Amino acid sequence: MEKELATFKFRLWRRKITNFVMMGLTVVAVLVAIIPLIFIFYYTISKGITYLNLDFFIQMPKPVGESGGGMANAIVGTLILIGIGGGIGIPVGIMAGTYLSEFGNNKFGSLVRFLTDVLSGVPSIVVGVVAYTLVVVPMKHFSALAGGIALAILMIPTITRTTEEIIKLVPHSLREAGLALGIPKWKTTLLIVLKTAWKGIATGILLGLSRAAGETAPLLFTALGNRFWSTSIFQPIASLTVYIYDYAKAPFEDWNNQAWTAALVLILLISLLSLLFKILTRSKYKTNR
Amino acid sequence: MLNKTKTRPHLAESCIAGKIKKVFLSLFLVMISSSMTFAQLQLNGAGATFPYVIYMKWFDEYKKETGIQFNYQSIGSGGGIRQIIEGTVDFGASDGPMSDQQLKEALQKRGTEILHIPTVMGAVVVSYNLPGVGKGLNLDGSVLADIFLGKITKWNDKRIKAMNPNKNLPDRYIVVAHRSDGSGTTYIFTDYLSKVSKTWETKVGRGTSVSWPVGLGGKGNEGVAGLIKQTEGSIGYVELAYAVQNNIFYASMKNRAGNFIEPTFNSVTAAAEGASKNMPKDLRVSITNAEGKNSYPISGFTWLLIYKDMKDASKATAMVKFLNWAMEKGQSFATSLYYAPLPKEVVKLCKSKIAVITSGGKKINLK
Repeated sequence: MEKELATFKFRLWRRKITNFVMMGLTVVAVLVAIIPLIFIFYYTISKGITYLNLDFFIQMPKPVGESGGGMANAIVGTLILIGIGGGIGIPVGIMAGTYLSEFGNNKFGSLVRFLTDVLSGVPSIVVGVVAYTLVVVPMKHFSALAGGIALAILMIPTITRTTEEIIKLVPHSLREAGLALGIPKWKTTLLIVLKTAWKGIATGILLGLSRAAGETAPLLFTALGNRFWSTSIFQPIASLTVYIYDYAKAPFEDWNNQAWTAALVLILLISLLSLLFKILTRSKYKTNR
Repeated sequence: MLNKTKTRPHLAESCIAGKIKKVFLSLFLVMISSSMTFAQLQLNGAGATFPYVIYMKWFDEYKKETGIQFNYQSIGSGGGIRQIIEGTVDFGASDGPMSDQQLKEALQKRGTEILHIPTVMGAVVVSYNLPGVGKGLNLDGSVLADIFLGKITKWNDKRIKAMNPNKNLPDRYIVVAHRSDGSGTTYIFTDYLSKVSKTWETKVGRGTSVSWPVGLGGKGNEGVAGLIKQTEGSIGYVELAYAVQNNIFYASMKNRAGNFIEPTFNSVTAAAEGASKNMPKDLRVSITNAEGKNSYPISGFTWLLIYKDMKDASKATAMVKFLNWAMEKGQSFATSLYYAPLPKEVVKLCKSKIAVITSGGKKINLK
């Protein structure tokens, strides 16, 4: 009896120690994963906070030698660019993803799937050159539209693939229930499948938009940049990323600091975007999950 | 209402979501309507990185005075030349002049000549990081070429010593730093080395990017300045503004007249004065290794590239007015931003060049 108790205690301790060690390792892994993020936040906040004030959001950039000023045009420019990109990329991405999961079990479907994967691996600068050749050269003008199209091309594969994967998760019984009630397939897809998968699709959209918002390379030769206030989609337009690129390497400390602030604002903007998506996709009905 | 939200929280949430949707929608509508409004007269340009800072100052000032917007983006000299040939910009900018072949291509594609208008000048300085040796190292062209060719490898080489009798040069290897990207700065620097060293001209030559015999590459002026700052015993070339900003020392260069000249605005302007006596008609001229007692030998112009005939009359008028402004008032902003202003003779040449710009074949009415 006593011997049995000893073995039992030994086993208990062994399990506890294993548990503890493994738990420790997981915590370390988590830390390693989030430490870069913490550093990024720490540096951008500590370096960018000094210039972060109301002026930064509502004023235009000041010429060299005059301190202060803001990047109102770049903030609006970035919003317009991802607006155009999203306006083109989101519908195309969702529709393509829906096609792939609902109707794409054939050769054409796998071809599209393959090409989407290839597209998602294309370097963003190449996408910029493509938009330059397709939009800028024929129109003879750098424009926000060209930048938006470049960003849309970058968003499409992300949104397409996430949409497809999410829609696949919708239980088959739901589709069958719809069809059993005599609802046509297109209506079932639109009103039942897509509606059920909406939350996941929104995550895909968010990923696409955030990636687009942080891109510099495809904008250099398409949206070009603008020192002035411009909201016309047929004119060159400013963006935060291009400003960061320009200001970070300039030989003026004032500008280098503003580049940090622009980086901070960009991060805040993307965080705000994801917060909005969280609120938008919050379930209307309380579930007890 | 209050009661309802308390007992049924999900309703309140959907209410918020609905409101946000409405806000989004209205924002979108505002954006669309604002983009429909008539845009102000804006001329777009792109090109050289080197004059980016002064061009921005000019365009900001000019907008304050006239309301006309000149939007300039620094994408590099090569990019500027490419865009003016493709016709995607209203004006270009470059630190190295366009080649005859590029001019021919532009004439074919755009149906009009392209004018080179010098705007300001700059100095490429030879920066070094050598602990124990203060500022004001003296160098001449052939020694500099041999350092960049990898022939002189130590700082206490007797040829460097001969020029710096008062300096205590260490027995240390020289680390060469150069640009890894294509650049007008590199063009000016290699153009100078080609003029002073036959070996350099045949082995390496001049260009916006060349195949360097030795050394480390840094991206952009800021990259090279960073390399020099971090590496003891290094030498490299950057624009004057970057050397000043990074607090790194730069060498005095021996000019044609045999004097060691420190790069300053006056010595750069002196180089242009030396070269202005025999300026070619199209103003495409190199002022490296220029004549004159006080000329700093590694100096260069930067040019705006303008279509001789512009289709849009209002844009052409704005362009001509601006160019004349740049030649007069614009020059006064140069020195505070580490650029050298154009000498008077060159300004005169530029103005006569500006006067030939037309719109649809007609002369520009400046009133």
